[in-house]
Amino acid sequence: MNIKYVISASLLVLLGVILAFLPEKSHTTEIGPDKLLSELNDETRFVSTDKVADNIINGVPSVQLIDVRPAEEYNKFSLPDAINIPLDSLLLPDWQAYIDQEGIKTIFYSNGTVYASQAWMLSRRLGFSNLFIMKGGLNRWIETIMQAKEPDQTASSTEIALYEFRKAAGQFFGGGTQVAGSSTNTKKKKKVVKKRKRKAAAEGGCG
Amino acid sequence: MENKSTKYMNPYLAGVLLGIVLLAAFFFAGRGLGASGAVKDTIATCVITVAPTHAENSSFFGKYTKKKESPMKAWLVYEMLGVLLGAIISGAIAGRFKLKIEHSPKISSRTRLIAAVAGGMLFGIGSQLGRGCTSGAALSGMASLSTAGFVSMLSIFGTAYIFAYIFRKLWI
Amino acid sequence: MGPLITQDIIGGQWNFVIAFIIGIGFGFVLEQAGFSSSRKLAGVFYGYDFVVLRVFFVAAITATVGLLFFSYFDWIDLSLIYVNPIFLKSAIVGGVIMGLGFIIGGFCPGTSVCASAIGKIDAMFFLGGIFIGILLYGESFSLFKDLYYDKVPVDKMVFDALGISQGTFVLILILIALAAFYVTSLIEKKVDKVEY
Repeated sequence: MNIKYVISASLLVLLGVILAFLPEKSHTTEIGPDKLLSELNDETRFVSTDKVADNIINGVPSVQLIDVRPAEEYNKFSLPDAINIPLDSLLLPDWQAYIDQEGIKTIFYSNGTVYASQAWMLSRRLGFSNLFIMKGGLNRWIETIMQAKEPDQTASSTEIALYEFRKAAGQFFGGGTQVAGSSTNTKKKKKVVKKRKRKAAAEGGCG
Repeated sequence: MENKSTKYMNPYLAGVLLGIVLLAAFFFAGRGLGASGAVKDTIATCVITVAPTHAENSSFFGKYTKKKESPMKAWLVYEMLGVLLGAIISGAIAGRFKLKIEHSPKISSRTRLIAAVAGGMLFGIGSQLGRGCTSGAALSGMASLSTAGFVSMLSIFGTAYIFAYIFRKLWI
Repeated sequence: MGPLITQDIIGGQWNFVIAFIIGIGFGFVLEQAGFSSSRKLAGVFYGYDFVVLRVFFVAAITATVGLLFFSYFDWIDLSLIYVNPIFLKSAIVGGVIMGLGFIIGGFCPGTSVCASAIGKIDAMFFLGGIFIGILLYGESFSLFKDLYYDKVPVDKMVFDALGISQGTFVLILILIALAAFYVTSLIEKKVDKVEY
C-alpha cells in the first residue's frame, strides 16, 4: 500500500478522534445563549409599523404576520392576513410549521413589544430564522398608522412624505386621520382572514 | 488503460478538493452544492413565461409565480453555469473535448440515448420527490450531517446496486 | 464569521458571483475526477472503478470535518447552515427512483452538466430527460403531494437520530470510509478492467 495513503488515512482518523473528544459544539438548530444575547442587542430584529403597513398594502407574499395575543383579542382586532398563534401555544408542533419557514419573513406582533419579543426569543431558540418583531406593537400601529399626526410646517420633506404615507395607509386600513382619533373606526375594516398557508417545507430541489 | 486513468486526477485528491469547494459553499453562502434545483428553476421560468395562467393554477409552479424575482435568479442556476464553465476549463486542460456517445460495446448508440433520457426522467422525478439529487440531497446533506442526506445517499446507491445486475448490459 | 452571505458580512449582490465561482470549482473538480464519463461512474456498481465512492466519501468527510473545526474555532455558525429537512418517506421513494435513474442513465444531474460541457451526447440527452422528468413531476404534482409532505417524526440531524454524539458519528463515518476504500481497492484488483 502506498505510504501516502497510510499517512493521509491516519491523519483523517486523528482528526476524527479529536472531533470525537472535543467538547460538543451545538450543531443542532438551537442557538446558544451568547448568540441570542448578541442578537438581542441588535436592533435589526425590529420592523417598523410603516414597513409592515407597506408590506400589507403591497401584498408582499414573502412576509407573514403572526399575532401572538390571545384569540379573543385577535378576534376583536388584528392586522389583515395575520395568523393568530397565541404565545402559550407557540411551541405546539402544529404552529411551528408556520414559523419555521426560512424563505418567509415572519413578523411577530402583540399589543406592546413584550409578548412579541418573547415569541421571537422562543422561536429563535428553536433555531428558526428570518424572524422579526413589529416595533411598538399594535399600540404603535394605532399611533402611527391609524392616527398619524400631522408634522409641523417646518418638518423636513422626509417627515412630510412619511406622514403622507401614514395617512394613506391609515385610510387603507380603514382608520385614518380624516376621522381623527376614533379608534372604533379602526375595527371596521378588520379582515379576519385566517390564511392557512402551505405546509412549511423548505422547497427542495438540490440543497 | 493505465495511462488513461492517470489522465484523471487521483480520486482521493479530487475528493478533498470537492470537499473544500463544498466547505466554501457552506462558508460563503450557508448552503451546500446542488444541481437539480437549477433545472427546476429553469423549468419554472419557462413554464411561467410560456403559460403564465397555467403556472398560476399549478400547485407546483404556482409558488414560483408569487415570488417577485424570477426563479432564474436562484443561487443554484448561477452555480450550475459555473459548473458548465469549470468543466469546460478542465476538459480543455486535459484535452477531453470530443462529441461522442459513450456506451458499452454491447449496446447501440440509440439504446444508450434512450436509456439516458429514461434515466434523466427518473432522476428528474426522483430529485423533486427526494428534495434534491446526489449533489444537493446526498452529498451536501451528508456533509451537514443531516438525516435526510444519509437516507438519500443510502437509498440512491442501494437501489442502484440492487438493479445493477439487471442493467449490466448497458455498462459492461 | 461565516456563513458570510447569510449574515450579510458580504453583501447579497455577491451571492451569485460566489455561486458562479463555487460552481466553477465544482465543475472543474468533477470533470478532473472523471465524473464526465458515464461508464466510469457506473464502474462503482460493477466493481471495476470505485472513483465515485472515493470522491463522494472523501468530499463529504472533508466538508464535515472542515465544518466542525470551523465551528469549533467560531469561524462559522452552524445554526445558520441550511440543513436538509427530513421527510423520510419521500426521501426514500425519491432515492429509489433516482437510484434507478442512475443505473439506467449513468449520470446524476451535476455530472451530466459536466459531461455535456465536454461534448458527451448521452449526457445532453440525460439532461433533456431531467427536464422532461421535472416537468412531468410538476404537472402531476397533485399525485405526489401527499407523499411529498408526509412527515414521519425523525431527528433532523443524523447523529441525533442514531443517538450518538456528533464527534463520535464523524469518527465512525471516517472509519467506515477508510474500510470501504481499502475493501474496494481489493475488489478493483480482482474485477476485470473495463475499457471505456
